[in-house]
Amino acid sequence: MIKKIIQYPRLTQKYPKKPLDLPDFIGKPEIDNSKCTGCNECISACPSGCIVRDEKGVIGINLDECIFCARCEDVCASGAARMTSEFELAQKDRRLLRKTPLVIEERDIPDERYELIQREVKEKIKKIYGRSLQIRVVDAGSCNGCDYEINGLNNPFNDIERFGIRFVPSPRHADMLLVTGTATRNMELALIKTYNATPDPKLVVAVGACACSGGIFRDNYATRNGIDCIVPVDVYVPGCPPRPHAILYGILKALDRVGKK
Amino acid sequence: MKKMEDIIEELRAGFGESCLNYNIVHENEMRIGVNEVDVRRMAELLCRDKGMKLACMFASDETLLPSGEFAIYYVFADAERGAFIIARMAVDSEKMSYPSVSDFIHSASFYEREIHDLFGIKAEGNESLKPMVFHGNWPEGEYPLRKTYDRSRKPAFASRRQEFMKVKGEGVYEIPVGPVHAGIIEPGHFRFSVAGEPIINLEAQLYFVHKGIEKMCEGMDFKKCFYVSERISGDETFSNALAYCQAVEKIAGVQIPRRAQITRVIFAELERLTSHLGDIGGVCLDIGYGFATFQFRMMRGWTYQLVEAVCTSRFLRSVNTPGGVRKDFLEGNEKRIIEMMIKIEKELLETIDIIKAKSLYIDRVENTGTLKKKTAIDLNATGPAGRASGVHYDVRKSFPYEAYGDMEFEVSMHNNGDVNCRLNVKLEECIQSIKLIMQGINMLESGSMCSKIDFLPPYVSALGYTESPRGENIHWIMSGENNDIYRYKVRTPSFCNWPALCEAVRGNIVPDFPIINKSFNLSYAGNDL
Repeated sequence: MIKKIIQYPRLTQKYPKKPLDLPDFIGKPEIDNSKCTGCNECISACPSGCIVRDEKGVIGINLDECIFCARCEDVCASGAARMTSEFELAQKDRRLLRKTPLVIEERDIPDERYELIQREVKEKIKKIYGRSLQIRVVDAGSCNGCDYEINGLNNPFNDIERFGIRFVPSPRHADMLLVTGTATRNMELALIKTYNATPDPKLVVAVGACACSGGIFRDNYATRNGIDCIVPVDVYVPGCPPRPHAILYGILKALDRVGKK
Repeated sequence: MKKMEDIIEELRAGFGESCLNYNIVHENEMRIGVNEVDVRRMAELLCRDKGMKLACMFASDETLLPSGEFAIYYVFADAERGAFIIARMAVDSEKMSYPSVSDFIHSASFYEREIHDLFGIKAEGNESLKPMVFHGNWPEGEYPLRKTYDRSRKPAFASRRQEFMKVKGEGVYEIPVGPVHAGIIEPGHFRFSVAGEPIINLEAQLYFVHKGIEKMCEGMDFKKCFYVSERISGDETFSNALAYCQAVEKIAGVQIPRRAQITRVIFAELERLTSHLGDIGGVCLDIGYGFATFQFRMMRGWTYQLVEAVCTSRFLRSVNTPGGVRKDFLEGNEKRIIEMMIKIEKELLETIDIIKAKSLYIDRVENTGTLKKKTAIDLNATGPAGRASGVHYDVRKSFPYEAYGDMEFEVSMHNNGDVNCRLNVKLEECIQSIKLIMQGINMLESGSMCSKIDFLPPYVSALGYTESPRGENIHWIMSGENNDIYRYKVRTPSFCNWPALCEAVRGNIVPDFPIINKSFNLSYAGNDL
């Protein structure tokens, strides 16, 4: 057994200190406006309806709704739409992910005013969090793809504990909620209760297209369009599911550890 | 078809000519019309006397079609002869009820509850039509799968009290667990009734992640609906998408190219390998065996890296497509796959030798969470859960699809039904999967990857079936006009195995529940839809 343990060298990847050495994979889709012929084929083909034209007629993608299925690339005759392998897509403001203005479903966030006052305090607290962070994962109606990728952060390749980040069993121990899924009708109450059980100050990260906007499951009788109709969100991580590094990037972004060098 | 004629003869012998208006489609699907009076007799004949199993049961709102009625479909699977019998029964629109068959087919009870929740059609004689899909927040009298219900309408929240089975007696207490669990898993609520340490009863309240997938697919273009089928359950992406594609291909009457068939087998087995490695790692984690956990996680990591390198998506998403496989992903990657398979097989065999020699492992898994054979048959437990209990049924053998008919592999057989047997089944299946992948690569022949499907004939239905990592997976599709979907029924293996899990934990101690749960490895999303 000991022989087995020392058999392999360190497997953990150096991300984010060094960029990943990865083969091609499906990352952010892009549409090159100079090549676009305006046939609108991709708009009608997109399963989640995330390709749009803004008021000036410029084509673009609402990344928070995108399910990264690569169908736009397949149907585009002129080669304007293509999938890149960019995965560091997390943003603090959902509007930065979108081409068209954001229309949020009616919000009923508990204590929203209090949240606004809290924001300044939060900025300071981040310095304390910077050293260690306890995360509670809540599945509010995902297909379990995102949950497996979050689990993947624990494996020997990513080993999230090297950042001082740990997954904890109870929201009462947590500094951050990592929420996946659209927030289904049956999970709404549980999500609100978990949010309220997490001590202040707290961060919320929405993982995956469903949590950002409802993704492909938008506008259904049993789902909400993203978790930000229910709880305030600090960082949005698009992807379906986002790869572990993209989730890691989102978590670190919430802590302002990345992007500032 | 010889086997079909045999079945018809048997039905004729049991029934006379009265109810037999049948037709045979897609080679092995026999459609029969049956009326309310005969349905119980027929179910008895097929299930009790002929040993077939009720693979699926669902309702369909066909009020917009010429027949103008609700219909209940019963799908019986004849594993020996490789045939499906699909009986359609019209529902009396005044009464909105039909006779229940749950008193002698126990697994039917859950389907009947589901139909009651989603369609408001009552099964007469089923005493336990307790709400299953909807929790206390859903108002009574709203049935979302009826065609008159608008997909995006969200009714006001109601507040009904959720009832659980009460166990009375001295010292009996309840432990409520969930829906937000300690680990990184999906939501579900478990209510244990416990005396001392042993569990007397477990009631699982699921459907926390019910998203209304079946409703949202209705009226959707079949090419878009494919992406929904990929998102039914994350780690079963490929087998769900495959079942969907099979059904669509049958409706369109398209034969897919040989190379695509073999490619599909290879990816389906890669998915099984990944899933099983993760499960076994999970059980080791719950036992507290850190070394083994990291071994299996490492191997699972390898498979993910391989899959990503081959087809750009870690969950095999956007690999399938109705009509074949989206791109020729395997070309140029054969060597890489074979090298990785050899590496994983070696590592796996060495790890099995180490863990099987440790009492730490054996003590916890042997005789824990036993599922008896009789219970497994009654509840129609499928996949590794069924095979560990002596139900030696595998869709790949009984109903060979894609290229499985031409490949050699063994179905693992165990009989004790405890955690150890389930893990052994999974370990053996890992080895078989590796063999199948190697075979597949050797069988590959050059050719096209995809037959184009542009048109679906309206109002034609077909079954798609696969053996997903968790077991028998059945999708039923009826096409609508303009290439859209009229009704899409998904029955994943998790739906059958959840009741089996609740049976298997009885008499075990509470700390063993996570191990038993993990050994079944059920999908919440795949059950809740």
